[in-house]
Amino acid sequence: MRRKNAAVLSSIIAVCVLLTACSGGQAERSGSPNNGQELIYATAKDINDMNPHLYPGSMPAQGMVYESLVENTKEGIKPLLAESWDISEDGKVYTFHLRKNVTFHDGEPFNAEAVKLNIEAVQRNAEKHAWIKLSTKIVSCSVIDEDTVELVLSEPYYPALEELSMTRPYVFLSPKDFKNGETKDGVNGYHGTGPYKLAEHQTEQYAVFEANDHYWGGAPAIKKITAKVLPAGETTFLALQKGEVNFVFTDDRGTDSIDIEAMNSLADSGDYQLVRSEPMNTKMIVANSSASSPVKETAVREALWHAVDRETIRKQIFSGTESAAHTLFAPNVNYAKVDLAKRDFDLEKAKTILENAGWQLRDGGEIRMKDGAPLAMKLYYDVNSSSQKSQAEYIQSTAKQIGMQLELIGEESASIANRRSTGDYDLLFNQTWGLAYDPQSTIAAFTSEASYLHTTSGIANAEELYEKIEQVMVSSDDETRKALYKDILTIVHDEAVFIPITNGSVTVVAPKGLKGISFKQTQFELPFEQMAFE
Amino acid sequence: MGLYMVKRILQSIPLLLAVSFFTFAFIQLSPMDPAEVVLHAQGVPKITDELIAETKTALGMDQPFLVRYSNWLASCLQFDFGSSYITGKPVWSQLGPALFNTIKLTVVSVAAIIAVSIGFGVYCAWRAGKMIDRSLRGLFFFLTSMPSYWLGTLMIWYFSVKLDLLPTSGMDSYRSYILPVALITVSYAGIYFRIIRSSVLSNMNEDYAMYGRACGLPEKKVRARIVRNSLQVAVSVFCMAVPIILGSTVVVENIFAWPGLGTLSVNAILGRDFPVIQAYVLVLAAAFVLFNTASDILNAALNPKLRNDRS
Repeated sequence: MRRKNAAVLSSIIAVCVLLTACSGGQAERSGSPNNGQELIYATAKDINDMNPHLYPGSMPAQGMVYESLVENTKEGIKPLLAESWDISEDGKVYTFHLRKNVTFHDGEPFNAEAVKLNIEAVQRNAEKHAWIKLSTKIVSCSVIDEDTVELVLSEPYYPALEELSMTRPYVFLSPKDFKNGETKDGVNGYHGTGPYKLAEHQTEQYAVFEANDHYWGGAPAIKKITAKVLPAGETTFLALQKGEVNFVFTDDRGTDSIDIEAMNSLADSGDYQLVRSEPMNTKMIVANSSASSPVKETAVREALWHAVDRETIRKQIFSGTESAAHTLFAPNVNYAKVDLAKRDFDLEKAKTILENAGWQLRDGGEIRMKDGAPLAMKLYYDVNSSSQKSQAEYIQSTAKQIGMQLELIGEESASIANRRSTGDYDLLFNQTWGLAYDPQSTIAAFTSEASYLHTTSGIANAEELYEKIEQVMVSSDDETRKALYKDILTIVHDEAVFIPITNGSVTVVAPKGLKGISFKQTQFELPFEQMAFE
Repeated sequence: MGLYMVKRILQSIPLLLAVSFFTFAFIQLSPMDPAEVVLHAQGVPKITDELIAETKTALGMDQPFLVRYSNWLASCLQFDFGSSYITGKPVWSQLGPALFNTIKLTVVSVAAIIAVSIGFGVYCAWRAGKMIDRSLRGLFFFLTSMPSYWLGTLMIWYFSVKLDLLPTSGMDSYRSYILPVALITVSYAGIYFRIIRSSVLSNMNEDYAMYGRACGLPEKKVRARIVRNSLQVAVSVFCMAVPIILGSTVVVENIFAWPGLGTLSVNAILGRDFPVIQAYVLVLAAAFVLFNTASDILNAALNPKLRNDRS
């Protein structure tokens, strides 16, 4: 027996030795961040490559480190790195007067030369930025003097300033970080001009951002922000409960890492507060008007619109955190205050519309038929989104009551994006890009193959729609733009190709004592520099 | 013995080749255009035809399948698995550290599993049929059948949040090992402990044990022989436990936010980062083949009969 005991004992010792060996002598980090001026937020995705001229990086993290020339605010475009700007009569030449005494995190001066180098580096990779129309219109960027830059466009383009304000790609990286004068094949460092600098990054573990004490807008109150990679759900919730992380927010894909019940229970505990932004985007079903299935008929799309019970979805699936949406853009979106006929949840009306369009119910049949074809369509949803699945199932059940059959198919988001660009779908879930991008970017996407071309190309007055979109982007008169947007929004509303469901917002769970939590126009960034502990 | 080893190692080469081929081929079966996948993975908001063509050329995707396969294989042999679609960094620079982290977790867990299953296996065999044996078997059966994500969450809640003893997740200090290792041990020790127990039991009934006793060998010595002989089964079982646990840490790593292979592979799969998926499958398959070969060689070293049978 002694030998056996010895064997067991030695194995236990071996395990202990291994455990100690593996610890690698790392100092233990303090578990509770609540003591200091520190925010630790949980994120399901690593911050990834922080190169601001490419797209894999986390947008909230890039938003802390890099800045653009101008900022998109509720009150319109405001100065950021440019103190002021002049636009030429013909709308083609933008002259920016840069803020003085701004330096990058590595000490390099932010000046006209840096702006020119950055914009040119972005333009040399223009294919990747084709989604942002400005990239196709920039002709040149030249240095006038140390603090003045001139940007020349090929034609007037009214959303130019809006697009310059976006999180990427027109933000500024220290020219010292460029690789051979380029940024498209990777960079040597991540030095921006923003309120926070990237201090440490352990891939798939955490990233530490430290306050930039030389920030031109004054040093931020919160001195340290850590992005900790944690799987969404229980792990994040338990870490919040214990205080290992103390902050979570809706990520740049519009998903929350903990569900509404968990948020409420944290708020009830008294240690946390819940802050919600105003509506930021519209969650919707996109209908393919150029498909060969019944969805190509306006009447069918309209009937489906009437068959969506937004109130129940809002209350039951989103626990009241989202509001019902009746138009493609919420009224707080620029140019979107347009009078459009409201289509309520009304199954009887939906039935009448279908009857009038020739979709008849045969005796005993559950699905309407027309010319021998059944009223059946496929609805694609993101398999990773639990709320989309519930919505799809619920809409399927109400559509069945009007004799419409929806087949539900869950797929990866990349594969749904692929369907959207190839037109291989009847109906799919989607969302608008958010306040900073709506309406101009979402509407520009109506004409783009990768986005909503198939959605819009099947409608009767598609040509007229595209013409108006073309016009609105180059129009320099605000009244003309208003009128054009009204026409555009009316056409897509009448054709019912974008079936709105709810308006989504950004939710923040933060320590009770944190003040100054606000939101930007973009749903992809948070103004951390304005937050402070009491 | 040397000849057997060489033979056994040579045998595993065609197997690895076949694995590499299928890994590469299956990814090609995906209905999506790889160039488009790359662009989606990089988060490019708008994908144009020009961009797709450009990406294809840049990644050499315009070449025939077999040419691509042989290029890929040749670079894999030099630990160059290409570049991640998402980050653009070399796959090995991501896979290497993740593999190391998972190996750390696996080694500690396998050590714990071996200690627990041998300890309890031998103990229960001695006490076979008694109350303690039955209750221990019942307990292990119960623990093994609990889903690990659920048990893991319970453990975090109790030990980390309620008792505030351990960190909930991450890989910061030796204390971070305790919960994940305990979870893996609980999930697997139940299986291996039964194997050890039955092996000891069957050896107890062997003739040599009876002869030993009949010849007046002290009970201690008889038992020592029984244990040594029973552990032969354990060698191959535990050798295979290493790659199995290496591959099955996905759930545990995701619960405890362990920056290892599991987390990496799940992210790669969700992001369709094909080079990372390919490298992951290949590394794991290589680990299986490697440990299988190692277990055969070890067994052959322990039991000369096996060598003759096979060669």
